[in-house]
Amino acid sequence: MSLPDMTDGGAQRSLTSKQMAAYRFTRNPAALIGAIIVISVVIAAIFAPLLAPSPESSGSFVDFRNRHMAPSWDHLMGTDNVGRDMFSRVLYGYRVSLGLVIGVLGIAVPFGVVLGLVAGYFGGWTETVVMRFTDIMLALPPLAMALAITAVLSPNLVNAMIAITLLWWTWHTRLIYRIVKAQMNEDYVEAAQVAGASHFHIMFRELLPNCISAIAVKISLDAGFVILFGASLSFLGLGIQPPTPDLGTMVATGAEYMPEMWWEAVMPGIAILYAILGFNLLGDGLRDMLDVEL
Amino acid sequence: MSAPLLSIENLTIGFRAYGQYRRVLQDVSLSVGEGERVSLIGQSGSGKTVTMRTIIGTLPMPPGVVESGAIHYDGRSLLDLSKIERNKLKGTGISIVLQDPMLSFNPVLTIGRQMDDIVRYADVRLGQSRRKGERRAHIIETLKKVQLSDFERVLDSYPMMLSGGMRQRVLIGMALLNKPRLLIADEPGTALDVTTQDEILALLNRLVALDGLSLLLITHNLGVVREMADRIYVMDKGRIVEHGSREEIFRSPTDDYTKRLMAAVPPLYGPDVVTITNEKTDPKPAISIEKVSKDFTVRSGLFNQHKTLHRAVDNVSINVAQGDIFGLAGESGSGKTTLAKMTLGLIDPSKGRICIDGEDVAQSGGTSDFRKLIQIVYQNPGSSLNPRRTITDQIAVPLKFSGHETNKIKTRVGELLEMVDLPADMANMYPHELSGGQKQRVAIARALSVNPRILVLDEPTSALDVLVQSTVIDLLHRLRREFDLTFLFISHDLSLMRNFCNRVGVMLRGEIVEEGTVSDVFETPQHAYTRALLSAIPVTTDAAEALKPKVSKEERATVLNRSTAIGG
Repeated sequence: MSLPDMTDGGAQRSLTSKQMAAYRFTRNPAALIGAIIVISVVIAAIFAPLLAPSPESSGSFVDFRNRHMAPSWDHLMGTDNVGRDMFSRVLYGYRVSLGLVIGVLGIAVPFGVVLGLVAGYFGGWTETVVMRFTDIMLALPPLAMALAITAVLSPNLVNAMIAITLLWWTWHTRLIYRIVKAQMNEDYVEAAQVAGASHFHIMFRELLPNCISAIAVKISLDAGFVILFGASLSFLGLGIQPPTPDLGTMVATGAEYMPEMWWEAVMPGIAILYAILGFNLLGDGLRDMLDVEL
Repeated sequence: MSAPLLSIENLTIGFRAYGQYRRVLQDVSLSVGEGERVSLIGQSGSGKTVTMRTIIGTLPMPPGVVESGAIHYDGRSLLDLSKIERNKLKGTGISIVLQDPMLSFNPVLTIGRQMDDIVRYADVRLGQSRRKGERRAHIIETLKKVQLSDFERVLDSYPMMLSGGMRQRVLIGMALLNKPRLLIADEPGTALDVTTQDEILALLNRLVALDGLSLLLITHNLGVVREMADRIYVMDKGRIVEHGSREEIFRSPTDDYTKRLMAAVPPLYGPDVVTITNEKTDPKPAISIEKVSKDFTVRSGLFNQHKTLHRAVDNVSINVAQGDIFGLAGESGSGKTTLAKMTLGLIDPSKGRICIDGEDVAQSGGTSDFRKLIQIVYQNPGSSLNPRRTITDQIAVPLKFSGHETNKIKTRVGELLEMVDLPADMANMYPHELSGGQKQRVAIARALSVNPRILVLDEPTSALDVLVQSTVIDLLHRLRREFDLTFLFISHDLSLMRNFCNRVGVMLRGEIVEEGTVSDVFETPQHAYTRALLSAIPVTTDAAEALKPKVSKEERATVLNRSTAIGG
């Protein structure tokens, strides 16, 4: 128990910021649970063919003798209206959901971030054009827009992805724009200008690193919502089409057999809930850990 | 002496954070007698604020842990009091004036409402009740005490509508509302200009003398202490290293830390003053500013239709010769930073011409050659260094963009770190791992990376503690000799300027009111504003006090038309 050295000679270096952040994270049980859930969902999606008790259920497999079976040890989540193992279909369903998340965020996030950086850094009319366009996109009702797009383009996974992506980047533009605006008041931006740094350097080397934690948190929180949005589209019949195992479609099909064969809608519903809960808890934990405001 | 009003006995406090325990106060003992002025002096991180917060009961526990010790106020043990009992003492027994007069107010409520709340809630705690009119009369009574005039206007104003000095006065008034016996002042006036600070200190002294208030002053400024304390406690690294009467401490400090602290304060007058001269004979001009003005358009009203021009810099002409250290002095808002930005070519002057090394900035500004000529060190290294980039990355930026060979950058960064006395292993660290002084060294290294001949220093030490400041100043002197540099030094700290510069210019509302060599300007100041400025600086020795120019109230009033006092 010695006193820290508070003189100019040596900065306090008993704990690095990474260690402190890790400490905060591990002291946050909700975040840990979130991380575990997300990891389990990712493992389920990657190893679905190995983990699924009946991999053939992922396709248009039919087994009428075993249709509408209640959950049991043989079928953890029961079977559906054509006798496919629901648990296997949920595992494959996570593949589709995560694929959707990666596809949507993989395009929407870089696009939104770059626009936000440009608008915040250059200001003036660039800012006006970009941000007003973003506002217009934000003003469109998202579900109605997505429905319109998929209806026009024919409903399938890729088109659902396109529809969601078109709507999603706006949030990242707004987030990054706000952070960059605040950072522009810091002297290090002017210092870089005095040093002769290029616009590209200042945007991507100086400003972007200061946005990374916020982006990480936002992505984690987004992932859950993208899954939900995709499921909503599928539920309405405008997303992923059968026989591809999709959680939203499964809920929609199962809903016809409510309330007697409750597991057919409830089980995939729980699966959706489980994944979203995981991403949200993780996002909240990251937010506390990285100390960012969204 | 009877029992002191406040006494702290062997207080030891620690913090538990991130699974580690760290002791921040060690055996701190301190006492404040009735009607006494006591100062607690120390650098940032020495434990002053923790001590203060423990006294008023706002130290968060956990993570704070009181290991041992006791605090007695008026014979009662504060740490053992119930929460309700303790709250009753707030404002009525012990009151506090915080450092920043802006952050201490709620910006969306009027001053009158905020003051009324304080009286009302104190009444509730004490079980009495007064009507609104009575409370208002009481508030106005208190405002008179802090020498504010125009009560109605002050009470109906929002905090942003008042000047810094007025806010600080209102803040002191708020602390006095419930007639405390002990006033704790945390760095009063440090956020303000020196002339305003002087008024605030005079006010506090007057309150102690007239109302028999006890004062515990927490500060890092030795000059302030000399004007404000009967007894002094010096704190370093969580311990009281020395205490005694003001005369004892200032005449014969015994502790090594106190001595170093005293030595580090640049003297304004007296035998210890260092006079810098430019050794160059017949130097060529480095910076010549010719009749430069800068207007900013201030837009207001609906749809920003109403335009007014604000003249930030007004017809300024300065010549800085090679090898000079030219000090640009002035209070906040005087236009010195605007002038510096124009010199660097970051903003264009509205009128006039600036030449660096004989070339017009309007043409050469922004080119690679120009950047190799002039660079800047900012005031706050916490803001001028990117928190998310390593030290190497940051020092390398000017190199990268001035055509330096990529494979040589690493070696150059190593050289630069050595030049500013930083260990080589800091190259891969991030700014938050460094102390304030180290960060400022990094900023200096970055500015020097392309071998500029002129450095603009924008208050490079004002965010640093005085001990650290002296090491940074020494470094700047050494670098100037080694690399034959010219400095344009911007500051509000005239004591530092006296010892660091060879020539100074004093700015007031955009104009240079006085210019000359340091010895001329400081010994025979011509302009009334320079005299007012010099007379307001708290100094650390009686000898210096005697040498300060004397300024009459009338003379002061002519230059400082925003003085906030009435009849004071």
